[in-house]
Amino acid sequence: MQTKTNKLSITSYLDFAQLLEAYRGNHEENRLFALKYKSLDKNPIKMLLLWAKEHRFHLTQGLNSKAFVAYIGTTTQLLAFLFLLTGFLTGLGLLSYSGDAPVNITYYLFFAIVVPLLSMLFSLFTMFSRGGVAEFFSLFLSLHWLDKLVSFLPFESKKTFSKKVLLPDELTKWMMIERMQRISLLFSTGLVMALIFVVVVKDIAFGWSTTLDISASTFHSFISTIALFWKDILPSAVPSLELIEISQYFRLGERLDTELVANANQLGAWWQFLAMATVFYAIVLRFLFWIFSYYGYQKILQKELLSLDGVSTLLREFSTPFVSTEATQGEKHLPIVEENNLQVQNFVRKSYPNILGWNFSKDEILLANDSKEISYSTVASVGGSNTFSEDEDEAKSISKTALLYVKSWEPPTMDFVDFLELLIENKKVDTIHIYPLGTVGRYYESDAKDISVWKRKVQGLKSEKVWIIDD
Amino acid sequence: MIDIVNDEYNYPKFAVVGHPNKGKSSIVSSLALDDSVQIGDTPGTTQVKRGFPLTVDGKVIYELFDTPGFQRARRILSWLKEQEPVSADKRPSVVARFIDEHREDKRYLDEIELLEPIINGAGIIYVVDASKPYGPEYEVEMEILRWTGQPSMAILNLIGNEDYRDEWKMALGQYFRLVRTFNPLKATFSDHMGLLESMAQLKEEWTVSIKVAIGVLNNLHQQKVEQSVDAIVSNIQSTLSYVYTQEIKAEKATKEEQDRAKEKYRQEIMAQEKKMEKEIEFIWNHRSIEKVDNLVIFEDIGLFSKESASIFGLSENELIITGASAGAVGGLSIDAAFGGGTLFLASIVGGIVGGVGAMVGFGNLYEVKILGKNLGKRELTVGPMKNLNFPYILLGRSLYHASVVAKRSHALREDIELEDEEFFTEQIVDSDTRKKLEKLHVKLRKGDEPSSEMIEEYHKIVLQSFLRLLR
Repeated sequence: MQTKTNKLSITSYLDFAQLLEAYRGNHEENRLFALKYKSLDKNPIKMLLLWAKEHRFHLTQGLNSKAFVAYIGTTTQLLAFLFLLTGFLTGLGLLSYSGDAPVNITYYLFFAIVVPLLSMLFSLFTMFSRGGVAEFFSLFLSLHWLDKLVSFLPFESKKTFSKKVLLPDELTKWMMIERMQRISLLFSTGLVMALIFVVVVKDIAFGWSTTLDISASTFHSFISTIALFWKDILPSAVPSLELIEISQYFRLGERLDTELVANANQLGAWWQFLAMATVFYAIVLRFLFWIFSYYGYQKILQKELLSLDGVSTLLREFSTPFVSTEATQGEKHLPIVEENNLQVQNFVRKSYPNILGWNFSKDEILLANDSKEISYSTVASVGGSNTFSEDEDEAKSISKTALLYVKSWEPPTMDFVDFLELLIENKKVDTIHIYPLGTVGRYYESDAKDISVWKRKVQGLKSEKVWIIDD
Repeated sequence: MIDIVNDEYNYPKFAVVGHPNKGKSSIVSSLALDDSVQIGDTPGTTQVKRGFPLTVDGKVIYELFDTPGFQRARRILSWLKEQEPVSADKRPSVVARFIDEHREDKRYLDEIELLEPIINGAGIIYVVDASKPYGPEYEVEMEILRWTGQPSMAILNLIGNEDYRDEWKMALGQYFRLVRTFNPLKATFSDHMGLLESMAQLKEEWTVSIKVAIGVLNNLHQQKVEQSVDAIVSNIQSTLSYVYTQEIKAEKATKEEQDRAKEKYRQEIMAQEKKMEKEIEFIWNHRSIEKVDNLVIFEDIGLFSKESASIFGLSENELIITGASAGAVGGLSIDAAFGGGTLFLASIVGGIVGGVGAMVGFGNLYEVKILGKNLGKRELTVGPMKNLNFPYILLGRSLYHASVVAKRSHALREDIELEDEEFFTEQIVDSDTRKKLEKLHVKLRKGDEPSSEMIEEYHKIVLQSFLRLLR
């Protein structure tokens, strides 16, 4: 792929398109790349081609461009040769001279001036027309037909052409126009070659003749207009009025004008004019037109490259700072234990010898007892602002069954588990009922998911003494 | 020994800390725009601290830490208080010593994980559930945090339906410089920015970085809006101009062929819509959204199929034009051979013969085989969509989906359920907007390529509708 200049080729376009199908990178990588080549940020095409070069290794399958370029290259070469040959043969045909009658220059001028100008005009229409109109004019491009023909035939190249390589219509059109100029240039070269060859190897008498009523002076003005571009630098290539007058002929049966025959030695002077007309109209103008079409082709290539699916994202990623808000390392979780063999009691007794409240004040415990109509012997507050020794003393002082109020919405912390283990280790305690209470505002009603958290925690302790009350 | 202030990392850091299961991870998920953070009802979901840096092109602007909840806060405070009494300015060193001395103590793994970033200079964001009543047991945690000496703020997260914010504010105000309400599940983009503004006030040295972060996130938001509109417009373009083509054998398609073609067409339209939705979810960093399928309904939208025939890939009209052109060019060469004496009669006759020949021959050329292949091809096509209302249904659905995704908090884990079609069309695309959009729809229905100006104009209108929905 080219990277030194912005000149694009169909190969770099196709390779880039294929790469985008296979790989587009991500914002972080693409931004990093753009920062590495910051000096290119005003030149997106160059940046894209450089990106493609750096990521070309992602194209593990064969390049579509190879088959395509081989196909189009062969087709163009074949046509180029045919056009050169046709040009030469056309030249020979137009300049064929038997000695019976002069070669009519009007035929030759038609192919050396009118046909090239017409063909350039068609190309111009094709360039700047769109849709159906452009399609109509493209019918006059020989490559268009060759493409149709090849895509119809059951060749491998057909598959390559129609399935893998889908060129945008506009690009195909400009590619064909550009190639047509090159090929046409060869046709004209063939024509000039034929003219020079015939002039060198034969002594030709040129003349002009037409059914239309045109006088020699009118024809002279017409010829002078054609020769306007070189009359100052090469006056000998501009036919004089006298030459025009003596080279006009009228055919009547097999007889030629006697004046024409008398001046036959001067009639060869036309060749310089014919050569210059061919060089200027069919070669120089065509060459200029080719430069123009090449420039247009480059513009379209660039435009189509920038229109490829994924390019706008790529350019945006080049120019936009990469912002990340996500974690840099993975997450570690405790395995969630499923509920099974839970020690759950769905009612609360009406009387307990010991009632404890984890993170509840004594008043709050009494309020809860009252609300739940539970009678008790002793009530104590644990956790909260108690010290460990206070909690330890409380845990040791309890015997038989204990009801332990907890705030259902507060999940059990390890601080709570430490206290619960003290209770479990107390051999005087045979049963511990943990009663998760909701807020007073909700009349102590708890959410099922909160109860579930407590159940799972208690299950994890694997103690037969501990039960959860879920009423 | 831990450095209390680490100069190497001088960007602002914030540790989100609190009691277990109070929504710390939800807040981090929402602020970090990362829906991959595990959020669960089970306490202790977060086992190790995780950093969520906001980086721009690799440069960290600030970093959030998600931390495990306090488990044995009372024991730590007790240890801190048991140490030799120190003045307030030395207290952070005591906390640092606690971390150093208990690094291998499994009982304090969670506390070490949460205290370490704070002692390394992170600001404190203390999270409580203000939908539950305040309890004095929280004071132990707040006291430990006060010992660290770091700037701090408290967030009131309303997980449930009750509201105890007033009592929480009274208590938290005594420990924290700022107290703010932030519900990560309902937080909008402006809530997010508001919280960052508050964080900027915690320490003078952090203000600039946080202001930069606000700017970066605002730009990022704007880019996401633009990218979403790009995706929507691009989907509208490809959907409205989509044509399904299927080869058929007979002159007329069978009912089965028509039904099959229509079904394929529908499937492709739906697949394109799903692809666009995924793209929009990706843009907004929602990688794990589950949607309740609400597929575009085609019952009321008539789909029409059409048979067509071609030879060499040319339709009948194209072939007639081609035939006429070829005849005219052939005739022209005859005219040229006669030096124009035929007054272009040959061209006219050639054109007529070619055109009429192509017209008459078109019907008989299908069966002609070359190299075992038919010259002609018969096809059944469905699309582009002619229904005038369909683009608005599609646009309405797309805009609605995009707005739901854009506004969705990254802390949410529930499925998305979208409204029905009528809602999308009537609420989102009003009649004025319809008129403006219709120009492009007409173009796409015809199969013409719209100009970039037209697409830009369309993009602007869709952007305005989208911004309206985001308000």
